[in-house]
Amino acid sequence: MKIARYEDMDDMSKDMMKEIGSIGTGNAATALSGLLGVDVEMTLPKVEILEYNEVVECLGDPEELISGVLVQMGGNVNGIMLFVMKLNFVDEVAKLMLHKSVSDYSEMGEMEISAATEVGNIIISSYVGSLSKLADVEISLSVPGFAINMLGAIMTVPMAELGYESDKLMMISGKCIMGQKNVESNLLMLPDIESLNYLMDRLVKPYE
Amino acid sequence: MKIARREGVLITYALGSCIGISLYDPMIKLGALIHIMLPEAGNQDASNVFKFADTGIRETLRKMALFGGVKSRYQCKIAGGAKMFEMMKGNGIGNIGARNSQNVENVLRAEGIRILRRDVGANYARTMLLDVADGTVKIRTAGHPEITL
Repeated sequence: MKIARYEDMDDMSKDMMKEIGSIGTGNAATALSGLLGVDVEMTLPKVEILEYNEVVECLGDPEELISGVLVQMGGNVNGIMLFVMKLNFVDEVAKLMLHKSVSDYSEMGEMEISAATEVGNIIISSYVGSLSKLADVEISLSVPGFAINMLGAIMTVPMAELGYESDKLMMISGKCIMGQKNVESNLLMLPDIESLNYLMDRLVKPYE
Repeated sequence: MKIARREGVLITYALGSCIGISLYDPMIKLGALIHIMLPEAGNQDASNVFKFADTGIRETLRKMALFGGVKSRYQCKIAGGAKMFEMMKGNGIGNIGARNSQNVENVLRAEGIRILRRDVGANYARTMLLDVADGTVKIRTAGHPEITL
């Protein structure tokens, strides 16, 4: 089956993304728990193909500030990974790593930004690591970029990147429990369409 | 794309690397606000013409003309085109905002429309409001005071 858009993905392909998601989540939880020094649990992720507006609605208000970590994928698979963090997530990370609390994005200094970027980077790398192992492909990752900006504007970054190929985004969302605190994490995994086909050929075809 | 006459405020939220283009005919109080995401439509089967600077601006001009707008009277203001993520390699993602604003300027120039005011670039998101009653454009940002263009 040739996929031309994200919404063309059939149940089999979506199940495969979910499987990658749950392995990635497991790896991410283990890595995070090492970094933060507390137990980290992550629920089984949900994989959804959503329109831009639906993603924004899902996460909050378009003008609400949110922070994000962006990494570009290269090698056999091209595309981007975007991990978005709400304030409670950033606050929890800062508390655990730096013993500081963050009640407003403007309070974030170099150290807080660096800690949040690292956590985002670890989560993204865990996902990409499980993906590349499962599909037996080489995926290289760029240095992570960090931004605090309006939610609606952050979400246009992947939209603009995929703009010529898709009007929809693929979001993997789940709950994350760090220590005792329950925080939400949302990851947008966006291989370009050619790479998505390449992955599905390697992952799904052998079972058909 | 949103269009209104005489009264009302048109809003487009959270412009990041996207560009908001406000066109206003003061004589008949006709205003339009476009939110484009990419510089050119290219060979796309244009499912949404307003996503691209070139097709979006042309289609808006066509619609405004149907409402009695006269191109030579249009006051044009643009905002957006920010750089959202500072990436190490300056390819693609980093400079889409700059490419957007460059192409918006080119398309407007080709259409013979002069840009009266602009608030583009930098690294923060903007919300753009056009008051159709008098053509005032306001820009709302996080952490900066509201400005009137």
